[in-house]
Amino acid sequence: MKIRGLAAAAFASAGILLAGWQAGTQVSGISTVATGTTATGTTGATGTGASGTGSSTASGSSGTTGSSGTSGTTGSSSSSGSSGSTASGTYKGTAVQTRFGPVQVQITVANGKITDVTALQLTNTDGKSIQISNRAAPLLRSEALAAQSAGIKTISGATVTSNAYLTSLQAAIDAAHL
Amino acid sequence: MQRTSSPLPAQTGTPALKARTFECMGTVISLTMPVGMAAEGQPRLDELAAATAVVERLFRELDETFSLYRPDSEASRLARGELTLRAASAQMRERYAEAHEWRLRTEGAFTPERPDGVLDLSGLVKGHAIREAGTSLLALGRRDWCLNAGGDVLVSGSPRPGSTEPWKAGIVDPADRRTLITGYALGAGGQHAALATSGSAERGEHIWRLGGGTEFVQVTVAAADIVTADVLATAIVSGGTPMLNLAADTWDVAVLAIRADGSMLATPAFRHA
Repeated sequence: MKIRGLAAAAFASAGILLAGWQAGTQVSGISTVATGTTATGTTGATGTGASGTGSSTASGSSGTTGSSGTSGTTGSSSSSGSSGSTASGTYKGTAVQTRFGPVQVQITVANGKITDVTALQLTNTDGKSIQISNRAAPLLRSEALAAQSAGIKTISGATVTSNAYLTSLQAAIDAAHL
Repeated sequence: MQRTSSPLPAQTGTPALKARTFECMGTVISLTMPVGMAAEGQPRLDELAAATAVVERLFRELDETFSLYRPDSEASRLARGELTLRAASAQMRERYAEAHEWRLRTEGAFTPERPDGVLDLSGLVKGHAIREAGTSLLALGRRDWCLNAGGDVLVSGSPRPGSTEPWKAGIVDPADRRTLITGYALGAGGQHAALATSGSAERGEHIWRLGGGTEFVQVTVAAADIVTADVLATAIVSGGTPMLNLAADTWDVAVLAIRADGSMLATPAFRHA
């Protein structure tokens, strides 16, 4: 009972997390009408159905949490229903539509605590789920330079004026191809 | 030392890259194509010249209409209030509608109006010109080319026709324009054919910044099309990290953003480039 409630709560929070993950960028200063992205963000909050695959005790009670927190279905029970605080395993929420295609939130539970929340993209082609996030993260100059090998054919930089072009790398490349 | 002819003839099936340049819109535009022997089915040098002429004419026509540096342009007459948008040409109204759409999508980080209220489509016109030039080159039957307009790049195909070799673009270090920070592979069947970089390194503060918009000195965006790349690069310089996150979440783009202190933020495609 506890575990099912916990899982439902977890999915609700995971759904909210997904919503935040999608909609968390809506705070940039200017107040204009938001477009499509908000809509997909909020649908994430309803993704709470569960199909447990861990070794949880499957009692069929429903956790009533914040959003439409109905509990899921087929929990493959294997452990004995002794203590509710020792649930472990991974659980997936229901799929919601995003720009990555259908996305499902997966939580990892260890000893009754959520240890990880990931967004999975459900690819229709091979049925495999891959972890997704296109968020920017810090990049060290040494890491970036690793990609700077030979074979550069063109140069991108902040707009080069006609005068600055004369001394630019692009001018050198163009001269080599005259 | 006497120059001797190479014992191996040059026509080994790998055509040489050739470039032609012209000046327009305050910058230099380069068109690069693999050029080979006629027998190999590759474009010849005169065909590169013909393709460059088509691209140049297109850029000049757009510049004549949209340049605010030309007092007689339609854009200047609009700015002076001698012409209303309602009475403007169809292409002027189309670009205004497109710019306005981008303002909504970027939540104001990209805007077609200057702070003084003057309509300024220059943030969109170069990208539009590159896009139109690309369409023309494809219509001419040119499949493999790289078009660079002042650091904004659109490519098609590969520098080695028929191969999967990408057009590799180097990204300039804003602190030292003679060095590169990293590279990014464009075209050759990859997901991104366009790369645009915005910043204050070259033209001074030509981007109208929002409140938090002093965070990045240079932003590079790779996208499937050049207008998306160009607009989002400008928007992220203007809107900072919130706009970067919005762009990464909403569009299929790769982003490399550089702060004044030289530290960088990059989406996964740039981290594993």
